[in-house]
Amino acid sequence: MQIVVNVIVLAALYCLICCGYVLIYRASRVLNLAHGELMTIGGYFLFTVAIGLGNDPVQSFLLAFIFSLALGFIVYFFLMRFMAGESALASVLVTVALGILLRGLITLIWTSQYRHPLQHLGMENSSHQIVEGAVISTFGIAMVISTVLLYLVLFLCFKFTRWGLRMRAVGENPILASQRGISLHMYYALSWGIAAFSVGLAGMIQACDSGLDPDMFVIGLKAFPVVLVGGLDSLGGVIPAAFIVALAEILTIHYISPQASEVAPFVVLISMLLIRPWGLFGTKEELERV
Amino acid sequence: MMKKSLFGIVALASFMALFLTPAFAGDAYLVGFSVAVTGRGSGIYAPVKDAFDIYFKQVNARGGINGHPVKLIIKDNAAEPSKAAAHAKKFVTQDKVILFMNAALSSTYAPMVQVAKRYNVPLFFAGAVCPDAVYPPKADPNLYCSTAFGAKYDSRFAIPFIKNQAKGPLKLGLAAMNIPVSRGEIDFAEELAKGMGIEVAGKVAIPPPTPDYTPFATKLKSAGANWVYAWAPWGCEVKTFEALRKLGWKGKYLAYAHIQAEDDLARLKDDDFYVFGTNAFFADDTEMHKKIRAISVKEKTIYPYTQLTEGWIAAMVLEEILKKTPWPPTPEKVRTAMNQIKVDLEGLKGGPLVWTKGNHFRTVNYYRVYKWDSKKNGIVIVKDWSPLKVE
Repeated sequence: MQIVVNVIVLAALYCLICCGYVLIYRASRVLNLAHGELMTIGGYFLFTVAIGLGNDPVQSFLLAFIFSLALGFIVYFFLMRFMAGESALASVLVTVALGILLRGLITLIWTSQYRHPLQHLGMENSSHQIVEGAVISTFGIAMVISTVLLYLVLFLCFKFTRWGLRMRAVGENPILASQRGISLHMYYALSWGIAAFSVGLAGMIQACDSGLDPDMFVIGLKAFPVVLVGGLDSLGGVIPAAFIVALAEILTIHYISPQASEVAPFVVLISMLLIRPWGLFGTKEELERV
Repeated sequence: MMKKSLFGIVALASFMALFLTPAFAGDAYLVGFSVAVTGRGSGIYAPVKDAFDIYFKQVNARGGINGHPVKLIIKDNAAEPSKAAAHAKKFVTQDKVILFMNAALSSTYAPMVQVAKRYNVPLFFAGAVCPDAVYPPKADPNLYCSTAFGAKYDSRFAIPFIKNQAKGPLKLGLAAMNIPVSRGEIDFAEELAKGMGIEVAGKVAIPPPTPDYTPFATKLKSAGANWVYAWAPWGCEVKTFEALRKLGWKGKYLAYAHIQAEDDLARLKDDDFYVFGTNAFFADDTEMHKKIRAISVKEKTIYPYTQLTEGWIAAMVLEEILKKTPWPPTPEKVRTAMNQIKVDLEGLKGGPLVWTKGNHFRTVNYYRVYKWDSKKNGIVIVKDWSPLKVE
């Protein structure tokens, strides 16, 4: 039973991280390779705010959410906006450079020390027994609930709100959307904002669950196979893909070898690329663009 | 008039920059230091640089060594082999250092070792894992190491300690990070444990970029381990322990005490989390600890004083080497000094650090075990300095 809980928590983490990859790609066709760094910065935002406010988790999380969201907008308006109309490869290379810059800034501002935001939030990461033989931590529960809420809100917004419809239109045909008076930059910026928020949230929960250090960005990159398995432009595809990859990893740890768990996501990815190269729910034409 | 004076100041400054700086450099002990201040794993290495900064500031303020200042050329290699290689070459060919140092991931070693051997200049590892070539009986003439932990030695202390501590049947779990040095040590520990009749219940090698340690902890817990021994980078050791506790595991845990151990013992406040190592904790509050704490506070070091011991020890060793290197210094004279060094570490270790011609690690390793004690609300010594001969 513990294995099932472990799969759910890991899949929830992958869903939170990968949501941003898909949103940015869907809206602007940019593969954001600085996503792991945005995740790490989310954790550091929480850490900094928690020190400033001291023992006030609600306000600390709220402020950190706002900072993460704002960071996404800042990145778009001060950097990625200038890449509009350039080749996809050039944009991807800019995100690589952005990642290097953010990593440097993280070390300069917060140093390389291990940090523990929980100490300053006045909270504990207790264990909760769900059923006999299955335990989950407080922040494991937070991870699952946050993921469910985020995806629910996003699906509802995309389906039933005006901005959701416009965002989809921008992703599907930017020229036509622009001609209809939709501000492309605003919706591109929005996708960056939501992406930075969701991955920042993942970073915050992860930092509370197991600490924070600049190397956390690698986790963001590790989640990348999930996006390709689900389909690069499919938000709905992320959920089953996250479960498949998490299941493969955890079963490998238990029944094959813990060491081999590192390659498990890539075995799933290669299998998917052989059978269905555009991913579970991805669009076939997207493959050429990638 | 104003223009003329400005020109004069610029000319004087240029003259000083051109001629006076090399005069100072020529008069100083020149040492190169390639350290991972940023990049992967820099949390362990950057505090070493911090300690060196404040230590040699004090030394130079006292008038230097043998009447000469020590000039450290410190470069950040970001844990990248290519940068470490470029630093090593620059140190040796341009800066003409008498000795150069490394504190970074082991992937940076090969190019630096190559330069040390090619140009016959000693290379000193401080705070980074000691390469095999420093161990006896035939240590490489150019490679030296003062780092606290030592593969194939630490487990020789740890496994018997666990056996002595265990009450009732012992089922041992082993945790490593999936990197060669950590995996190798845990494989060695497994052999030792089996040789001592200990049942090894489970073993996990955890990949470095792992988002969740719980699945690995689940494997150890479901294997029935009542003691777990971890020898890995600190993040991996402590996260595995925390994951085990989150699963409700009630066993005891022994981990190697890296520089962050003391702070984390105080953070976790768990009576069954034991750490062992070869450096004394600030909880001992010796005169040397008071001194380091005072200087760290005064100089406003980036890293907390509790993480400076490793760098401080390396700096003490370097000072002793330079003291024994007669002026004018050459790599040959430095090597001669390093081959017969004995440094009194004034309570930072269980005994002096001794290097000989064939042993560039240390002749005796002294181990101590600490843990948190809830009753005393502080860190206590579980087992005092225990010597282990390095042969």
